[in-house]
Amino acid sequence: MAEPAEGGRNAPSTRAARDPGSYRDPAGFVFRRDGEVYRQIAATFAEDWETYLESGLHERLIADGLALAFEDVDPSLAAEPPAFRVIRPEQLELISYPYEWSFGMLQDAALATLRAQSLALESGLSLRDASAYNIQFRGNRPVLIDSLSFERAEPDRPWVAYRQFCEHFLAPLALMARVDVRLGGLLRDHLDGIPLDLAARLLPARTRLSLGLGPHIHLHARAQRRHAADGTTDAKSEATMSAKRLATLIESLRDTVAGLSWEPAGTTWAEYADDNSYDDEATAAKVAAVRAALGSAGGKRAWDLGANTGRYSREAADLGYRVVALDIDPAAVERGYRALKSQKRDDITPLLADITDPSPALGWGSAERTSLLERIEAGADVILALALVHHLAIGANVPLPMIAGLFARLAPYAVVEFVPKEDAMVKRLLSARRDVFADYGIDGFRAAFGRHYDIQIETPIAGTVRTLFGLRRRD
Amino acid sequence: MELIFAYIDPGSGSLVIQALIAGLVAVPIFFRRQIARFVGNVRGKDEPTETAVIQDEPPKSG
Repeated sequence: MAEPAEGGRNAPSTRAARDPGSYRDPAGFVFRRDGEVYRQIAATFAEDWETYLESGLHERLIADGLALAFEDVDPSLAAEPPAFRVIRPEQLELISYPYEWSFGMLQDAALATLRAQSLALESGLSLRDASAYNIQFRGNRPVLIDSLSFERAEPDRPWVAYRQFCEHFLAPLALMARVDVRLGGLLRDHLDGIPLDLAARLLPARTRLSLGLGPHIHLHARAQRRHAADGTTDAKSEATMSAKRLATLIESLRDTVAGLSWEPAGTTWAEYADDNSYDDEATAAKVAAVRAALGSAGGKRAWDLGANTGRYSREAADLGYRVVALDIDPAAVERGYRALKSQKRDDITPLLADITDPSPALGWGSAERTSLLERIEAGADVILALALVHHLAIGANVPLPMIAGLFARLAPYAVVEFVPKEDAMVKRLLSARRDVFADYGIDGFRAAFGRHYDIQIETPIAGTVRTLFGLRRRD
Repeated sequence: MELIFAYIDPGSGSLVIQALIAGLVAVPIFFRRQIARFVGNVRGKDEPTETAVIQDEPPKSG
C-alpha cells in the first residue's frame, strides 16, 4: 500500500503515488490516486499492449477468470507523465502474499499462471514474467493482476519466465509437498523466489529421479550453476526452442505442479475442530451469540483471527460480511480453502498467518510488501477473535492489556470470546506448565479491554464457562 | 536477437537448459498421451462426469 489508509482519504484529489512494490518493470507501474488503483503504461510498451488487446487474449483470460477487467481512463491522470495509456483495473479488496497462502492456494496460483501462459502462446503472445506476486485471490479464485504481463512471442525463443516460475512456484510447492509444508515460510525470506540450488539441496535425493522435479529443479539448478559465469549475450542469443517444445515444457510444468499433493492432517490443529470442548447445544449458543454481536457491529469487512477452518467466518459471511479467515495452522487453512472452493464461495478468503508474528513489511525500503497488520487496519470493520485470546495470553504469554491494545488498533469493533481458566481447553494449556497468569480472568479481561472499548455486549455462552463480548472502540 | 522486454533476469542456465529439459519431459508426456488415447478408444466417448466433493465443515472452538 502506498500510504496509510487514513492518509489516502484525506489527501488532495490531485495526489498520486506509485505503489512502492511496482518498480521492476519499465513497461509501466501501479499507482494510487484518491484511494483507487491505476496502472500507467509506458510508450515503449505500446506495440505489445496493442497486440495484447487485438489478439483476443484479454477476453479469453477474462472468460476464464484469469485476468482483471479494466477501463481506459484519461492519460493525464498518470502519476508520472507522460504515459501512453492509463488504465483503471477492477479494484481488489484484499492483497495477500504467497507466504500467506496454503499449499492448495499456491498450487492453484501456479496452475493459473501456466494456464495464462498456454492461452497466451495460442494467441501468439507469451507471459513475460511468472511472479507469484502477480497473482491475487478474488474470494478463492486466483487472478493475474498484472495487465502488462504479455508480450509478442518471439519465434523459437525459450520462455524468459521459466526460471521465475520454478523459483516462485515449483520449488516452494515441491518443498511443501515432499519435505514439510512449513517450508512454504521460506517465501517470506526469499521475495524473488526460492533459489533452485537451495531447493535441490533440501529435497529428498530420490526426487532427482522424478520425471518432473528431476529436470525442472535438479537439472535446472545444475545448469544455473554451470552457466553462472557465462557472458551475458552468448547464452541468450544461442538458446532456441521450437514452439512445440515450449508447449511441452508448459504441459510438463502443469503435470508436475498438479502432481504434487499435500494432505492436511497431522499438524497441531488439523483435527481440532473435531476435538474441542463444545457440544451441539453449546455450539448453537455460541453461534447465536456471535450472530447477535455481529448484528450490532456494522461495517462490511470482517477479519476472523484464529479462524481455524472458518466455521464462524461463514456465520459472518452469511450476515453479509466479506471475510478474511486467518489461521496459524497450514492444515486448517488448507481445509478451509478446499471447502470454500468446492462450495464456490467467494465471500471468504482463508489466509495463513500467525497473529503473534504477523507478516512484516518486506522488500525494498521495507515498503514493497505491506505488513499484515497494516492490511487488517486498512481493511477491517470488525475483527472476530473466537477461542483465540487464551492461546495468546497463556499459549504465547502475551499480557491481556497488550492483546486489547493490538485488537483496538486493528478495527473499530471486536467480537471476542473469553475462555477462563476453568475451561477444559485452558486447563490443557496449563497442564504442563506453571500458572504464571495471575491476571488472567474475566475481571482482568474487562479491565484490559475496557481501556480501549465500550463493552456493548457481554453474553455468557450457555452450557460453557465462556463469555462472548461485543466491543466498540472509543475513538 | 534481443529479448526486448525481458525485464526479469531469465538466467543464462535457465535459457540454455530449457530446450533439453523440454526434450526430456516430452518422453513421458508422449507415452501418457498414447495411453490416454488407447484408454479413450477402449472406453468410447462416454466419459464419467466429475462429481464435486462437498466437505462438511466441523464446528470450531477451543
